[in-house]
Amino acid sequence: MNCAEASAGLGAWSDGELAAGAAMALREHVAGCTACRAELEALAALRRDIRAEAPRHAAPASLHARVRAEMARHGDGTAATAAPAAPPRPAPARRRWFLAGAMAGALLAVGVGALTELVLSQRASDDVTIEAVDSHVRATLGQRLIEVASSDRHTVKPWLSARLPYAAPVPDPVDPAFVLAGARVDSLDRRPVAALVYRYGNHSVDVFVRPLADAGAAPALANVRGFTVARALGAGMEWRAVADVDAGVLAGFVARLAAGAAAPLPVAR
Amino acid sequence: MTDIARFESLVLPHLDAAYNLARWLTRDPHDAEDVVQEACVRALRYLAGLRDGEARPWFLTIVRHATYDWLGRQGPRGDDEGLAEVAGDAAAEPPQCAERRGDSRALAAAIAALALPYREVIVLRELEELSYREIATIADIPIGTVMSRLARARALLRRSPALHAIAAQRAGGES
Repeated sequence: MNCAEASAGLGAWSDGELAAGAAMALREHVAGCTACRAELEALAALRRDIRAEAPRHAAPASLHARVRAEMARHGDGTAATAAPAAPPRPAPARRRWFLAGAMAGALLAVGVGALTELVLSQRASDDVTIEAVDSHVRATLGQRLIEVASSDRHTVKPWLSARLPYAAPVPDPVDPAFVLAGARVDSLDRRPVAALVYRYGNHSVDVFVRPLADAGAAPALANVRGFTVARALGAGMEWRAVADVDAGVLAGFVARLAAGAAAPLPVAR
Repeated sequence: MTDIARFESLVLPHLDAAYNLARWLTRDPHDAEDVVQEACVRALRYLAGLRDGEARPWFLTIVRHATYDWLGRQGPRGDDEGLAEVAGDAAAEPPQCAERRGDSRALAAAIAALALPYREVIVLRELEELSYREIATIADIPIGTVMSRLARARALLRRSPALHAIAAQRAGGES
C-alpha cells in the first residue's frame, strides 16, 4: 500500500468505520510511515477541537414548551383525524420541494436524472468522482479488487454481462503498458457498475464503465486526495479511470479505451 | 401505548440532538426552533413508522427533511454568509461559552461556513457521534458518500483560515 491509498482510508479508520481487513493493511502501512501517522494525529486533533470548541446546542425551554403544546394538540385531535396508513417517512413533502427545484432546473434544459438529490446535483457529480476514488481505495485495501481474474476480455465481458443490467464493453488492448488483470462489480451512485482492473507497472487502475444515461456532468480530469480520476465518453458509456498514476498518462489511456470501444479494430479473420 | 406516550418516551429524549442539527443547518436559533416544532408535528403524525431502537436516526431524518423544506421556502442562501452570521450569533449563546470565545468562534464559524452537505455530516459525526450507517440513513446517501463527504469536510476545516489563525496563536503562546 502506498501513502495515497492509505491516506484515503485514514478518516474512516480513525472513525472506527473501516472493515477489519482494510484496517489491518492500513495499520501495517501507518506503522512504517511518518507522514501518515502525522495525518492521523492531525485528524485526531481536529476531532478533539471540534468536540471541545463547537457548541452542541441544547433545546431551549421555549422549544420544550412548544413541543408540549403540539403534543397536547395532537392528543386532542387524534381521535377525530386519525390518518389511516400514514406513510412511514415524510418523504413526499421533501419531494415536493425538490420538484420545485426540478422545474427551475428544467429551464436550464438539464436532463434531470435523480430527482431526490437535485439540490445537490452540482456536488453530486463531484461526489461520484470522490465515490469512485473511495471504491478504488476500498478495493485496493481489501481483497475484493478483482472478482474475475483474467487478461482475456472474452472471459471478462460475459462475466460482467451476467451480473449487470447493461452490457459493459471490454475493449481490445489499446496500450501495452496497461494490462487487463480482471474485473469486479462495484457500485457508483447507488447502482451496480462494471469496474475493469488494469495493471500499470505496480499500480492498480480501476476503470468504471457505466451507461451514459446514468452519468451526469463531471470533470474530465480530477485529482482526489492524490488519486487521478480521468473520464472519457465513448460507445454510449462513461469511462472513469481511477489510479495513483500521472494525470496525462491516465487521461490518454482512458480516452483511447473509450475510443477503442466506440470503433473496434477490424478483427482479422 | 398511546401516540403521546410513545412520542414522549422514544422521541422526546432526542430533542437536544434535533435542535442541535437544525441549529447548525439553519444557522439561526429561531429558525431552528420552528423547524424542530414542525418536525415534531410530522413525527407525531408518522409515529406508526417508527420501529423501536431507531428513534434517534428516525427523528433526525425527519428533522433534516423539515430543515431542507424550510431552507427551500426561504430560497437558496449563499454558503459564504456563514462566517458573518455566526459571528453575529455570539450574543445569543449562553454565557458559559463566552469564556472560550477565542477558539470556539473560529471553529464554529469554520463549520458554519461549510456547504450544507459537508456541514451536516460533520455535525452528525462529531457532535452527535452517529455511525456512518446512521448518517447514511439520515442524509439519504450511500455509506461511501458519507465517508467521502466527511473526508472533504475535514480537509476544508483544516484548510480554513480561521483554524490556521488558532494554530499560529497556539504556536506563539507555547514558545
